[in-house]
Amino acid sequence: MRFRFLAVLLAAALAACSSPSTTTTSSSGTSSSPSGDTIKIGVDLPVSGADASTGIPTQNGVLLAIEQANKNGFAGGKFKLAPVLLDDAVQGKHDPAAGAQNVKAFIADNDVLGMIGPFNSNVAKSEIPLTNDAGLVQISPSNTNDALTVGDGAKALRTSHPDVNAYFRVCTNDSNQGGALAQFARKKNYAKVFIIDDNETYGKGLADSFEAHFGKLGGTTLGHEHITANQQDFKALLTKAKASSPDFVFFGGTTSTGGGLLRRQMGDVGMAKVGYIGGDGISDAEFLSTAGSLANGTYFSVAAPDATKLASAREFLTAYQARFKQDVGAYSASAYAATNVLIAAIDKAITADGGKMPTRAEVLANVAATKDFASPIGPIGFNALGDSLNPALTLQEVQGGKVVTVDVISIKS
Amino acid sequence: MRRPRQRSLDVLLQQIINGLSLGGIYALIALGYTMVYGIIELINFAHGDVYTLGTFFSLAVLTLLGVSGEVHGPALLGIVALTIAVAMLLCGLTGVIIERLAYRRLRNAPRLAPLITAIGMSFILQNIMQYWRGPSPVPFPQVIPNPTFHIGPVDIAAKQLLVIALAIAMMIVLQLFIFNTKLGKAMRATAQDRDAAQLMGININTTIALTFLIGSALAGAAGFVSGVYYGSTWFFNGFAAGLKAFTAAVLGGIGNLAGAMLGGFLIGLIESLTTQFISDQWSNVVVFSVLVLVLIFRPSGLLGESLPNKV
Repeated sequence: MRFRFLAVLLAAALAACSSPSTTTTSSSGTSSSPSGDTIKIGVDLPVSGADASTGIPTQNGVLLAIEQANKNGFAGGKFKLAPVLLDDAVQGKHDPAAGAQNVKAFIADNDVLGMIGPFNSNVAKSEIPLTNDAGLVQISPSNTNDALTVGDGAKALRTSHPDVNAYFRVCTNDSNQGGALAQFARKKNYAKVFIIDDNETYGKGLADSFEAHFGKLGGTTLGHEHITANQQDFKALLTKAKASSPDFVFFGGTTSTGGGLLRRQMGDVGMAKVGYIGGDGISDAEFLSTAGSLANGTYFSVAAPDATKLASAREFLTAYQARFKQDVGAYSASAYAATNVLIAAIDKAITADGGKMPTRAEVLANVAATKDFASPIGPIGFNALGDSLNPALTLQEVQGGKVVTVDVISIKS
Repeated sequence: MRRPRQRSLDVLLQQIINGLSLGGIYALIALGYTMVYGIIELINFAHGDVYTLGTFFSLAVLTLLGVSGEVHGPALLGIVALTIAVAMLLCGLTGVIIERLAYRRLRNAPRLAPLITAIGMSFILQNIMQYWRGPSPVPFPQVIPNPTFHIGPVDIAAKQLLVIALAIAMMIVLQLFIFNTKLGKAMRATAQDRDAAQLMGININTTIALTFLIGSALAGAAGFVSGVYYGSTWFFNGFAAGLKAFTAAVLGGIGNLAGAMLGGFLIGLIESLTTQFISDQWSNVVVFSVLVLVLIFRPSGLLGESLPNKV
């Protein structure tokens, strides 16, 4: 009998433990007020695991925007805004299938009129067909892969309504990011690169773009390798890289897919003095802790302006500090801006409807029409494909364990 | 400047060292896999997670001792010995508990049943570790000074030597234990015929528990070594490593201790050489292609499925 009890206990433990990262904290709670008083905003970001160090500050940006709107009497106090927070990280890493699941949950909830997210480009690839089909507007603070908005790849994602675009982003794309990083590397007189990427939508796209731009600027690519999911040992790969004597290693990918471990193991194979440049995927606190002392001297970009240096962001920074008692993340301001664009679009739709609950289509139309919207990261507007009209890039370096901004580049479109 | 041919030979030697040290970690995990399989013919899927647990236990001991960086002199030996001992003991006990909870009652059930509980145990351990240390990678202090020895053109780090030496030493100790002690004899008897062994007065439960104790303790040692070797770990680490180690055990001949070690080193070598001469992304493909080929021509692995003396 005792054993039967143990077995039951075990089963219960298994049920309780099973994958807490996929389901999550929905702070919206179960509101008992009738549907119609509350308008929900879906938020899909990776907020657990190695991605949490970027995901949580980004989510905080969204929360701040929603809280401020409620406090300032959104829609004349007629409606309350509530976030629906879902996590797309599974086993500590962003996951396209989990992202798609979350978006389906948003779509199924009639009170959700728009969503912010996702953080990662491969997750966006699995979500865009769903939001396109449902006509649910989606604004990402940080997806940079080109093929999400431009070209045949993007058209293929808009499966149900090829002519309608429901996906927008407030950051720039990887052509620009790869180009800026290549220019920067050449300016540092780096001539030979060994490129490594994680074979994901974002990582490979960025690495390819970097390789093309670096070649055009007269740089030489000695090798371009792809690492695999959950890989932990990079010594063989780095020994190969070292044998070709590169000036620096370029990494296309995120910290959670190996960007930090790779840098750390460069020390183990005697490449501590070789340069290391990456994209915005490694611009997080997790990179600093994983790479340890070798993080110093690493350069990376952020596909957003450096909010801490902008006059337009001063008010936002103060409010963020006061609310969360921590520094902003690389994409906090972008998420805040994206959320405010969405909130303004909902507000406009409510006014146009004479105070009634607006439809998703109305909100989508208002977001698409956004022009010169004042935000901490500068005026926001979208082109027909959903790309931001005047994005900026920041180049940063790790110095003494701290991230320092080296350059801010504004991109003309 | 060296001549190009000389240089590519140096790189080859360096990759062999890389492969052997990576393979050493696989081998250490594979020993535990193969031992459990040899005795009760169960693929203990939780073994990879016990290995990760070993890294976390080691980390906890080091934190308790207040060690956060390199240690020198006699203190180093003491700290390393203590950390490995505690990690091995705790992992060994975890293994015994797992066997008691998840496998013992199912010993005579259809073979699918303990396989499923093994996968369940793996999830439980992963989630316990995730709860304990969070879902992000956790840095592991670099306890052991890591001088690099330059032997001719090749660089060998002290950590790499440690991994290779430990794997070989563990295999020899195990081999001696199984073939030269009374308990080892009991284990071999249990493997051969459980009922007959019981009739001869061998306590089956104790013997199997002992197998789990030793196998999991080895995973604990491997956990410490991998923490030192990679300088970080996270809760999900055991999944990929466990899979490779299992492959190593099958490649060498499951149930065969020397085979597990051979398989581990071989997989490490294949991975590093594929990375050097083909491409990193193909390393898994080549590893598993070799496995398929070996199994076609030698279905019981390279050294044969010589379960602790089932010949």
